[in-house]
Parts: sequence; structure tokens; C-alpha cells
Amino acid sequence: MAEFQALLTAKAEWKPHQIAKAGDLASLAAAATALAETVKTTLSLASAGMEVVKLLAALQNINPLLMALEALADEVLKQIRDLKEAGYWYLYVDPYYEGNVTPQQKYNYGFEVLRNKAGDRIWELKDGSGNWYDTEPGDPVPTLSQIKDKTAKPKYASPRKLIPGGYDKDNPTLDPLRSSGKGGVSKFPTFTTVEVINEFVKAFDDEGDVPRYKLLGAASDAPKAGEVVYDVDGNAYTGWDPKIDFGLELFDKGQASEDGSIVKDYVAARKALNSKKTVGKPNILGNTKFDGGSGAIAIIIASGDFQSFYDVFNKFSEMFSDIPEFASDTGKNLLDALTEIVTPNPVTVKLTQVDTNYQSFVVGDIIGGKIYSSMGEITEIVEGSVTPTSMKGRRAVWKTDDEGERIPIMEDYDMNEIERWIDMEVVLNPIRNIDGLNPWITGDMVLEMEVRGTSGNSEIVGDVFPNYVFKGNETTELPKTSRIYPKVAIVAMEKLMVLPESTPPDFGGIQIKDIVPGWGEFFQLLENFVLQLKGMITDSGAFIQDMIDMIKQVQEFLEYLIKLIDEFLKFFQITLPSQGVYALYIPNQNGGIEGLKSELSSAKGIPDLGYAAGILFVGTEADKLIAGGGSKNPIDLLALVLGLLDSEEDAVNPAGDSTAADAAAALGQAVAGTDKDAWKDKSTSEKIASLLF
Amino acid sequence: MAEEENKWKEAELRRDDIKKLLENTKQLAEMYSEIIGIKKTGWENVLKAKVRKAEKAERERQNG
Repeated sequence: MAEFQALLTAKAEWKPHQIAKAGDLASLAAAATALAETVKTTLSLASAGMEVVKLLAALQNINPLLMALEALADEVLKQIRDLKEAGYWYLYVDPYYEGNVTPQQKYNYGFEVLRNKAGDRIWELKDGSGNWYDTEPGDPVPTLSQIKDKTAKPKYASPRKLIPGGYDKDNPTLDPLRSSGKGGVSKFPTFTTVEVINEFVKAFDDEGDVPRYKLLGAASDAPKAGEVVYDVDGNAYTGWDPKIDFGLELFDKGQASEDGSIVKDYVAARKALNSKKTVGKPNILGNTKFDGGSGAIAIIIASGDFQSFYDVFNKFSEMFSDIPEFASDTGKNLLDALTEIVTPNPVTVKLTQVDTNYQSFVVGDIIGGKIYSSMGEITEIVEGSVTPTSMKGRRAVWKTDDEGERIPIMEDYDMNEIERWIDMEVVLNPIRNIDGLNPWITGDMVLEMEVRGTSGNSEIVGDVFPNYVFKGNETTELPKTSRIYPKVAIVAMEKLMVLPESTPPDFGGIQIKDIVPGWGEFFQLLENFVLQLKGMITDSGAFIQDMIDMIKQVQEFLEYLIKLIDEFLKFFQITLPSQGVYALYIPNQNGGIEGLKSELSSAKGIPDLGYAAGILFVGTEADKLIAGGGSKNPIDLLALVLGLLDSEEDAVNPAGDSTAADAAAALGQAVAGTDKDAWKDKSTSEKIASLLF
Repeated sequence: MAEEENKWKEAELRRDDIKKLLENTKQLAEMYSEIIGIKKTGWENVLKAKVRKAEKAERERQNG
């Protein structure tokens, strides 16, 4: 129940995202940048080095290859720059993570109705003589008119108990435990695809969710109220007041400030006046009600059964580990929350006053708390924990004093002399109730439970769960000799459990920053080393030996780097299976936010499945052309890299795989006079060999 | 191009952005490694030549 409570004030929020600038990918991008820049620096020194070393004259022939290498370094730098500049808003909607959206309660509390062994509700029917009798398995459910006429009534458990999924007076003929596919209760909190889409649309309407920028530094250092200030593109604005927060980033200089003498480049000369305090919903320069270009990609993970949803979500999280909610290093993450729902951690509960007259508990028993509705299966009786319950009582004992008077004396006595009651510690696998996982509360009575029917979606394999009731609860009103008594105990306390060691591979176990520590630092050192060499190239034997040793080290590191990249490539080669993942790509359109809302609401083609979470990326049109000059909206680039565009559109990709290879081919053809394609097919070693020999 | 009427589709998502960056970085590392390997061979040749030159000079000095 607690997990639902935590969600009551929840709200999905817009956040900014830039590929290659967040999380682990930032480390990778930094490393790739450093390598590319080092390569460029080294190459600029290459010719100088070779002039000194006369015997290397033959190597001048590899210049085309050096140029190809430089082209590739440029390509990497460009790719990183493109990815960094392509910013989006993203909205994550997930009912299974605290602080996000509020799922609707999908069950009602009602009095517990007894069920027969087939799991059907037992009804009491009035016969012609006015006597009540119970329905038998296979009997039809009474009609609504029978219930209204009071000739039929549910047979409540005695004593009466309110339970989630109990008798629903408003819909008495429908069993709350009918298939969840037909509106019955589910033990997992449900949040449908339609609800996710509604959240997407609603998030655009939050009036207060606008970007806010706060003044940087003291008001006395800022331009005075009324002075002209400028946006990031250098456009002028009036109405400035240092005491007020504005909705866009502002600067003290802009295009109009360039005078050719004092201010030659306003970008270099300007000073930021404010910094972002809140991101706000998608906007263009602070305007959230813009009519201009905007596009979106909505991705919904959905399934009819929770286990499948969990499996797909797991893979999805791995693919998008650059989004903070999916990162595994920020304490309890989303997948932890889901895992806890699917496989809650075992708990150890100390039981006291286990009444051996009704048998002691054994491994495999299902027990449940009478008041607080906790439930679990006993997986272990902790060795050495079974001891007689200490039950000290006080009683009056009549004794004769020295004067012969009989007086009552209060004294302690052992109420459990024959050891009828015992204490024990049991390890339990918690079982979810319809209202979630409930805690084991000290003092609650626990009773043995048995199966009476099922809940979940009967049409989906793996989504049907036993419905447990207290053993013998249908016999509590029978004569004592006919009653069935469950095993019974009292909860002494729940013991804190040390979490079990995980079995690799763990979710998020592979992280760039973990497996490639110090990439950036290494290349920084390398770059500095190369720069130092610039002024000291000599032909002394000691220097040459140093140079050879250094090259060996660099080669070793590069081999290590290549190995790691191969590992990482294996990781990202995963293509998320289409089953369970639904995507909607809204290319750049001119209807602004209203247009996006309309597209999101009206798009067809997604089934309404019970368990769903989603992420919505929104991009707004900028001034610069990206994605191969085909668009001004980074959303189109995102669609490209996520594989959402049709294959024929791949041709617009400017950052094609073949850029460097083409450069090498072109250069190779020019130098060696070989056929371009034949050259392209050669390995790097072959190219070098053909150039050298 | 995208369809006029947008529709939800079951999609096989990829992360080509990361893959491409990794592949390019790997190619860069491989090519750079080979280039500096050639330089290393060159420097080793220089070193050998210097040793030979020194030995030759020594022999000439001894032979007068």
C-alpha cells in the first residue's frame, strides 16, 4: 500500500537531454574528442619529425593516409559536436517509480466473501420456506433482482473483514477477481497506454512549468532596469529588470553591440546575465506557446502482462542509460523499483506464540497477517531459532504466614510450562496482495493461508496469480468439532535483512565511466606530451629511445581502448525487439505545442495494454540546419539514430560510416592511381604496405 | 518520408548515435595506432643506423 501512497503527489516533469552530454556517454564523448584532437595535434607535428629523421623520407608517401586519418578525426569531432548541440526535452512517464505519475486505484475495498475450492464466490439463497442455503460449485451467480429482492446475499467471511477486491455493492454480480483483461483487479499496479498518452498531452498544459532564469551575481553589476539586453542569438530585448526572473537566457551584448573596434565579436565579448533555474516545458526562447516548428518522438513500453513489461523495460533501460532515470548509479533506480514489485526481497520475521496445538509452521506454508494483510511463503525456518515462548504470568498464591494467617502472595509463574507455544524465526518470500506489499506489523496475528481462486489476466500465460484466504475461514461459524483451524502465531518483529549478493550480469553493470576510467585524462596527458616534443625533436639516441618507448605505451593503450570499444559495441548492438515497444514519430511540424498535442491525441495504432510506461522527446526548430541539412529540428536527427526513419531516408545521413573511408579512397586513387573501390576494400595495413613498398 | 497521418508503430529501436561514435572512435584508434607503429619502426631504424654509424666510425678510428 505504501508504494501507492508515495505516488499520490507525483507528477511527470520535463527535463532537458542532450545526447553525448549526459551520464556515461559524456565520458565517451570526452574520450573520443581527446583522441581526435590528439591525433590532429600529432599529425601536424608528423612532417616536422620526419624532416629531422632523414631515413624516414620514404614515409612521406603515407601522407594520403595521414590525411585520411585527419579527416576521420574531424569526422569524430563533428559527430560529437552535432550530438552535443542536438538538445531535446524529454518527459518520462512511469507509474512504477516514486515521484512520477499517479496511477488510479484499480480496486475497491469490500467485505471478504467466502469462496469454494474452485475459487467461486459462495452465495446464500433463500428457499421457498424462508431458509437460507449455500450455493454449490457450478451454481449460477444470483441475478441482480435476486440480490435486490434479498433472496440472495453474499456469504461473508466471519468475522467480517474489509479486503481489497472484496464485495462490490455497486456491481455485485461481477466477481472482482475476474480476469483483469475484463476489468478485474490486478495484483500489479496498472497504468494503461491510454493513460500514458494522456500524461504526455497533459504535461504540455502545465501553466507554471515554464523555464525560469535567475540573475547571475549582484544586481548592481547587471545592466540597469530598462537597458537593452540580448538573447543567445544576439537579438535585442527591452523591459530588462535585474530584480525579475525571465524566461530566457540573456546577455549584456548582442549583434547590435558589434562596432568593429571595441566589440568585434559579440559572442566572445558578451557576459551572461542569468542562468537557468528551471527547465520548463518545451519552448522557443522561453515562449511555451509558440507556433513554430516542433517535433516529437513518443516511445511507449507496454504489455498485457507485467513480466513481459518488466523484461522489455529492462532492455529499454540498458539502451537509454544516458538518461538519468535509467542510470544505475543514482541509488534506487527505476529498475530496482520494478524488480521489487516482481521479486520482492525476502524478509525474516520473528514469530512468537506459535501454538503447537494447531501445528508448527513448516517450509512451504503460506502465512498472512490478519489485520495488516501482509502475506508470504515460508522458505526457511532459521536454524536454532525455535525456542519455547517465554510466557511469565503473575498469580496469587495463598500462603500461611508466621502467625498462621493465610494471605495471598503474588508470584511469577511459567505459563508455558509444557512448551505448547514456541518462538521461531522464519524467512519469507513476500507475496503481493491486490493492494501491494504490506508490512509485517508487531502484534498482528498470522494465520496459515490456502488458495481460493486466482486473480490476474486469465488470457495471458504468466499473469495468473493464486488468491489466498485464511485456511478454514469458511468453517468459523460451524460447530467447534467441524471447524478447520489454521496454524497460528503472533508477529514479534521483522528483522532487518542483509540484501543478498547479486548474480551478474546486473542491469547497468556495464558503464562507460567504470570500464574506461580516465580516458579523457590519458589523452590529455598524451596531448601535452606531444606538445612538449614539439620544441625538442633531436636526433640524440636517448631522445629516440624515449620516443620509441612512448609510442609503445600509446600503442598498448590504444589496443586496450579498441578492446573496450568492442565490448561496448556488443552492448549497443542490441536492437530492442519491436514486441512491446511502440513508437510515434511526429516530424517537425509548424503547429507548435498545440500541433504536437493534437498529433499525440489523435494518433492511432496502439492497443490499450494494462502495464505501460513511456518517454516523450520533444525538439524545437532552431536556426541551423542539422541531420544532413534536411532539417532544423534535432528531433529528426534523433529519429534517424533511433532507427525510426524508413531505410530510404538513411541516405540523408551526413555522418555516414563511409566518410573517412571515402576520403582514404579518394586520396588513395589520386596517389596510387588505383581503382577507388579496390582501394576502399583494402585494409589499413594493406594501404600502408602498398604505399611504402 | 514520414506518413501524413502519424501512427503508432511497433518499433525496433536502435542507438545508432552511440554505435556510430564508437565505431568511428575505434577506427580512429586503429588507424592512429598503425601510423604511430610505422613511426616507431622508423625511429627504430634511425636508432639502428646511428649504432651502425657509430660502430663504423669506431672501426675507422681504430684502423687509423
